[in-house]
Amino acid sequence: MTVNKMFVLKNISKTYGEMRALSSLSLIVEKGEMIALIGPSGAGKTTLLNILANTILPDSGEVIVDGITLHAYKSTKQFADKVGMIRQQFDLVGHLKVIHNVLAGRLKDWGFFKALLSLIIPQDSKIAESALEKVGLKDKLYERTSSLSGGEQQRVAMARLLVQNPQAVLADEPVASLDPVRAKDILYMLTKLASEEQQTLIASLHSVEYARKYFKRIIALQAGRVYFDLPVEKVTEELLSSLYSLEEEKQHE
Amino acid sequence: MNKRSYLSTILIIVFLFSLTSIQWNKELFHSGGGETLLQIIKSLFQPDLSISTLLLALKSAWITLAYAVTGISLALLIAFILGILASGVLFNSGFGRWLSFGVFRGTLSFMRAIHELVWAWLFVAAIGLSPFAAIFALAIAYGGALGRVFADILNDVPQEPLNALKSSGASKLHILLYAYLPMTASNMLSYTMYRFECAIRSSAIMSFVGLGGLGYQIQLSLSELRYHEVWTFMFFLIVLVSAVDLWSNMLRKRLIL
Repeated sequence: MTVNKMFVLKNISKTYGEMRALSSLSLIVEKGEMIALIGPSGAGKTTLLNILANTILPDSGEVIVDGITLHAYKSTKQFADKVGMIRQQFDLVGHLKVIHNVLAGRLKDWGFFKALLSLIIPQDSKIAESALEKVGLKDKLYERTSSLSGGEQQRVAMARLLVQNPQAVLADEPVASLDPVRAKDILYMLTKLASEEQQTLIASLHSVEYARKYFKRIIALQAGRVYFDLPVEKVTEELLSSLYSLEEEKQHE
Repeated sequence: MNKRSYLSTILIIVFLFSLTSIQWNKELFHSGGGETLLQIIKSLFQPDLSISTLLLALKSAWITLAYAVTGISLALLIAFILGILASGVLFNSGFGRWLSFGVFRGTLSFMRAIHELVWAWLFVAAIGLSPFAAIFALAIAYGGALGRVFADILNDVPQEPLNALKSSGASKLHILLYAYLPMTASNMLSYTMYRFECAIRSSAIMSFVGLGGLGYQIQLSLSELRYHEVWTFMFFLIVLVSAVDLWSNMLRKRLIL
């Protein structure tokens, strides 16, 4: 029996009004791959990730996640077991304590009353504790989330993802709002946890340097198409400078 | 000159012209009106502080407070349920959302379109001079106002945390518990406290229809021209409203920190 591919995209197109975000894009992602998504802004990185996360629908083409086409998924829970997403720090509920934000990753398995009870007496708190320990925030368990720094909040989001425990993790500019030291810290943790949990990881990044340092495969998007798709050691300076210079030429037109 | 100055000039002229329609003679005040005004102002500084009046004021203040607390509690319950339903956050797009906007927003509008005093008259006519008339009147009118604002507050929350929860497999009810309610609780509470303040004033006024409380005593004292007593009751009302204001400030500080 062959193992299913994590993601298979066939001829995906997406336009926003006049703007063509993705045009006829095809892609195969194996399980356990570590992929960086690079390219100039507006190249379609976020659109691609959102289509993989099933938060927006493509205009045409087919998306197959772990052997099942997207519209064949019956519930958000079934899909949440496959794919989890991490964005910039704004996706946490700042008013809640850290533990509740982390345990929100369990909601897919909880009924209403267990979820309600958990806000008073945290349920499955061992899972939250061990997840927070892995991201180095064990002592912040009962702090108000909004009182944490940006980097710490991003780690809380990672802990929530650990609790959700999907097969694939999508990260949309996970370090865009962080300073270089914290950015490296977060990327190191993100890639380390993904390989420990044998997850597939796809992260969009602005920085080519980070893409090379932490990932094994680099997919470059340019105007909604794959510009190159190579193992990290085959990505040359010439390719990179042409990827970003194309954009400059376009802007001068 | 631009359009706005033209408009301002016209409005000022209209206002000045309107002054000519007033008859600037003694009939502006009824005979002895000035005298009465002076008396009222004088008694402001000499409120009736006799034990019997103070006890009566205390008792009336208690009744007014009790109506207000019971009314606002019921209103809060109604508003919480109807507000969530009217906000549409529990429904997917399409029919459910349309229904929630139509039915529940409509219900809320109906409840608050009619003033609590009118509700009170209706209930007095139906069930007589019972405290329930005042409480139901407050609960309905204030439930409508609170519910509408709750629905708006729920519709105004940032979308990012909601989408994150949704994509991690949470249901609508989960998202209500883990995002909508924690994000809006302090806003809702602070508006409820403001409404509670209004409810105390309203509860005092409502007693004019004969339901007891501070308003009723003010009315009695006024009709017997005992202005010293009027001010005693007024001061009790002021203290009551200020106390609620103080309490709500304390609560808000604790919630926002």
